[in-house]
Amino acid sequence: MNKDVKISINGVAYEKSVPLRMLLVDFIRDEAGLTGTHIGCTYEGRCGTCTVQMDGEAVKSCMLLAVQADGREIATVEGLASNGRLHPLQEAFNEHHALQCGFCTPGILMNTEEFLKENPDPSEAEIRRSLVGNICRCTGYDHIIDAIQTAAKRLRQA
Amino acid sequence: MYPAIIEEYLAPATVADALAAIAKHDGEATVFAGGMSVMQAIKARLIEARCVIDLGNIAELRGVSVGPDGAAIGPMTRYADLVRDKKLHGAYQALNDAASTVGDRQVRNRGTIGGSLCWNYIAACMPPTVLALDARIELTAPGGGKRTVPIGEFFLGALETVRRDEELMTKITLPAAKGKAGSSYKKWSTQVDGLPIIGVAVYIETDGSGVCTVARFAVGGILPIVKRSAAAEGQLVGTKASDADGIARATAAAAEELDPQGDRWVQAAYRKLLIQSLGGEVVAKAFERATGGAA
Amino acid sequence: MTTSESSATTVSSAPESSDWVGRSFKRKEDHRLTTGKGQYLADIAAPGMAHLVFHRSTHAHALIKKVDTSKAAKMPGVLAVITGAELKDQILGFPQPVVVPALEAKYPTFWPLALDKVKFHGEPIAAVVAVDKYQAEDAALVIEVEYEPLPVVLDPEKALEAGAPRVHEIFDDNEMFALTFTGGQTQEEQDANDKDVEALIQEADVVVKQRFRVHRTGVTPMETRGALAQWDESDGLLAHVTTQRPHIDRLALADMLSIPPQMVQVIAPRDQGGEFGVKAPFYREPILVCHMARKLGRPVRWVETREEHLMCVSQERDQIHDIEVAAKSDGTITAVRDRAIGDAGDGCEGVYWGFLMPFLGAALLPNAYDLPKCDIKLRVAFTNKSALSPARSFGAFPARFALDRAIDLVARKLGMDPADVRRKNLITELPYTSATGVHYDSGDFLKTWDNLTKTIGLTAFRKEQAKALKEGRYIGIGFAVGAELSGVASEVLVPMENQPGYGAATVRVDPRGTVLVFEGDAPGGQGHETSLAQIAAQEFGIHPNDIVVKTGDTSITPFGSGTIGARAGSYTASAVSIACRRLKDKIAVIMAHDLKLEDATPEDFEFKNGEVIYKGGNIRKTFVEMTNRIIMMPLDLPEGVDAGLDETAFFEADKPMICFSCHGTIIEVDADTGQFEIKKYVTSEDAGTVINPLIVEGQVQGAVVQGISNTIFEEFVYDENGQQLTADFENYQIASAADVPRVMVTHAGVPCPHTPLGTRGLGEGLPGPVPAALGNAVSDALQPFGIEITDLPLRANKIWAMIQEAKKKTAA
Repeated sequence: MNKDVKISINGVAYEKSVPLRMLLVDFIRDEAGLTGTHIGCTYEGRCGTCTVQMDGEAVKSCMLLAVQADGREIATVEGLASNGRLHPLQEAFNEHHALQCGFCTPGILMNTEEFLKENPDPSEAEIRRSLVGNICRCTGYDHIIDAIQTAAKRLRQA
Repeated sequence: MYPAIIEEYLAPATVADALAAIAKHDGEATVFAGGMSVMQAIKARLIEARCVIDLGNIAELRGVSVGPDGAAIGPMTRYADLVRDKKLHGAYQALNDAASTVGDRQVRNRGTIGGSLCWNYIAACMPPTVLALDARIELTAPGGGKRTVPIGEFFLGALETVRRDEELMTKITLPAAKGKAGSSYKKWSTQVDGLPIIGVAVYIETDGSGVCTVARFAVGGILPIVKRSAAAEGQLVGTKASDADGIARATAAAAEELDPQGDRWVQAAYRKLLIQSLGGEVVAKAFERATGGAA
Repeated sequence: MTTSESSATTVSSAPESSDWVGRSFKRKEDHRLTTGKGQYLADIAAPGMAHLVFHRSTHAHALIKKVDTSKAAKMPGVLAVITGAELKDQILGFPQPVVVPALEAKYPTFWPLALDKVKFHGEPIAAVVAVDKYQAEDAALVIEVEYEPLPVVLDPEKALEAGAPRVHEIFDDNEMFALTFTGGQTQEEQDANDKDVEALIQEADVVVKQRFRVHRTGVTPMETRGALAQWDESDGLLAHVTTQRPHIDRLALADMLSIPPQMVQVIAPRDQGGEFGVKAPFYREPILVCHMARKLGRPVRWVETREEHLMCVSQERDQIHDIEVAAKSDGTITAVRDRAIGDAGDGCEGVYWGFLMPFLGAALLPNAYDLPKCDIKLRVAFTNKSALSPARSFGAFPARFALDRAIDLVARKLGMDPADVRRKNLITELPYTSATGVHYDSGDFLKTWDNLTKTIGLTAFRKEQAKALKEGRYIGIGFAVGAELSGVASEVLVPMENQPGYGAATVRVDPRGTVLVFEGDAPGGQGHETSLAQIAAQEFGIHPNDIVVKTGDTSITPFGSGTIGARAGSYTASAVSIACRRLKDKIAVIMAHDLKLEDATPEDFEFKNGEVIYKGGNIRKTFVEMTNRIIMMPLDLPEGVDAGLDETAFFEADKPMICFSCHGTIIEVDADTGQFEIKKYVTSEDAGTVINPLIVEGQVQGAVVQGISNTIFEEFVYDENGQQLTADFENYQIASAADVPRVMVTHAGVPCPHTPLGTRGLGEGLPGPVPAALGNAVSDALQPFGIEITDLPLRANKIWAMIQEAKKKTAA
């Protein structure tokens, strides 16, 4: 009931034998020890705190089995900064106070990083709809919108 | 919560292999399309998936093609792909509408049209949409035998369809429009992009002067399954986009005919109202798409 | 007056370059939280850690005939299975004094696991500890419980009727708590007051009498609860707990588990995924986790599922108010009578017991209005629901809705604009003590109010509204206010929670001129590591990055009652300030001694830009020089001055303080469908001196959206058998970014005279005015139909039904 998998997370290959029922989020957190990806639901997959990217697309890692990610590339919040430089989204979230408790933040960052590739110059309404799958309980969302707008602008100029 | 123990996980790369695997397990295996709904059930331990057959690697089940004979959609085509597919604009645009409001970005990156149709959740967006588009569902059995089921016969009841456990949905076809055609879908829920209280999909064909010659009016969010309103469709034929009274009569007829039930959250009368208000909006939008805006 | 739309604004003027208070300093917490390095409870593990999973009741009210754990005990990986019957002989039960208020009420006896009966759907009955969390869940699922169902009582009014099923057999009835809040201490005084109020109602020009009801909803945080316990025979218990009050938890755990308190260390992880009051109670589950760790001699962790969370905690509001408001023809309110009913659920919860929220709500009912004559009585019932647990705008949310909605009804009867009636009755002379005995220290309510009506454009709106109505569009404006707690003084907290109210902080200066600040409370996203660093930076004239704030660990922080009641900005910030000032005085004394400045007093020294400056002679020493000299070279100190630079301060305001906030909103309603859109939402705050404007703006925006979400989307629903139907995020619907408007935050405050820096705490009560503001705006929009919103949640289908009803009446 175990299977050998090779899952790349942020460019590092993790080769493990995992139970078939193991959720991808538990592989990321417990097997790879990357605890920046969080869990906020029981089974419903609604809160979005577990959002990571699989082959470049935002997905909820609590709604996938680890074996479904076998041979694939996972990106988590820990890999967002590169060469010691924060991603423009991370910088903008700090500048605009777009996080309070920070529990939802990694999921929002991983969803939004992909969203801005799809839509580099989104309107406020588009940003708001892009966040339907990520509940934030602290901020009221305004500062998150501000931060995403700032980051989008910088990414367009980059 | 966590899934119960899973004993086998298979991710075949072809339909033939998938069917063989399904047959080997006597139809007892749990089949994953996008897995968004089935994983909820597995994690809630409503389903004990001893064997999982994941269709995610089967390229031949993905993709949209549109030609003179109509459209063909692979059941493993994801919402995210449908949202972006401009080939569907006009006659089949209700699919773009519906796909764009399912769940959220993350769900749309995984969830598939075929998975939604096979799951047949009462408030899902895809069932009324394909019903309005008069889809035909191709089901393939182990050994390769195929049968095609008109969508009107596909849904049996809440979470039930005519698909047999050993069959796979292998194609969704949509008939070609005879005249100028347009379609539209809209839902209403308490929250933006939430599970719909009511969702309405409408398909309209018009003649050269913008008069409706064919109408299909389908409603989701009602018990026990998604339904078309013959009364509304009868009223719509012969109307034009500018005939507000005629359209209002049609949507009122749909509300009467479908007679939605109330529950502890939303009363029956409000569901009726939604059939009318959403119906009016989607009919107008379908006309606009059919006629290119000319009334 | 400044708006916070641009980020770097303050209440009064822009800070000087050396000022750290008043600056939108970027949060120190964010680097780790945006890079995935935050360490929340579920991220903390211990070697050999086992996992605990509860088996919870599937019935709302039933006798437990049998609990069969034999199958579970044999499951793979299982280390232990425990039931209530076994636990009862191993640890003490509730109530334990440290978590019982000094108020007369019926306090049920209970253990972390149910004994012979369950009282709500979700009550823990048994627990499994296993080496793997999946296996622990497998085993918990096969525990078999035989129930004998009992009749359920879910409606608090029915629960209070004679003959209702009793939730707790040890009590004669379900009335958990009852209190008259007005008139005085004796029955005679209260009776006389009631008579006065009755007379005022009789002789009033207008009287509004209305029932208002707010549903069960709360502020569930994104991180659920959890605990990780470790036991060592010599060291004792080390417990990581998601909690706002680690020091109280420590005492309570010591009591319940009979461990000497010096052998109990509680750590609230420095990263907690939201609190909002939900993590303030002393809950039953962590007690069992600690007990099992001791019993098994290995670390045990429990991470709550969302289902458990929504079944058992985060449920607040849920009050009925039958309110009467009497007024003169000029709009002056002469008397208020309120009969409030609260629903405590089963009341089994340390510290709050399900009734403290309605208790405080009734006490805060008079709000910022000058209402000398009130008759306010509250009854709280036990029901077969989970115990009410705290949420921001603690108990006040329904009370604010009732009174601020009633004021609009008064205005309607008088033909006045509700804004004018509201302004007319605001308290203008402070300090003020309300009819319920709540003390309001200071503030300028009229200035804050006028800023709101001007910013939202009330006058122009009324013209636009008239024009819109002619076009068949229904737009309305709604206002509400909140005089909310700014910290909770001992005067209030000792009777209410049997705990001290002071704020505590230890400031430890390093020889290298850097500073550690220790806070005994436990934040969960409010940004204390930044705001408190700004305070210490302001005091010492050094950079906030040279200051580190440590929180939540009972072994290193001074005693505090917890992160509650908006006390960080008021009490804790003040304690930091006082500790810094004492150290500054010490540094000044030593510097004067070293320089032989015989006449110099500490006031002659200034701490600025990393220097200590003797203003008399412009003599400077660097802060580092001084700290190194005092700590590392304690030679030739002035007489009576000891070495070192460590100071712990406890701040207690002489009188309870408040923070005033007013809200305005504009809503358009589609009269054909009842669907509505919030077009504008504006707040005006009197937050005193603002420590960090961006953090304050975030607090306000977040709180308003929580209020909007509570009012419109969120609702805990129990069916007629007491089954909780909304224990997941698909059915318990929290507003997403797409569901809510922008919230514009403006300030019109004055510094608080009772704190060293003029700061106030503002986070706690902020959602309070939201439901009335929304309800008032929708009602204002629908005045052509004569519609008044009295029940929440505010939903399109309900509004549509009201419009249909009104149309029918008009037609008839």
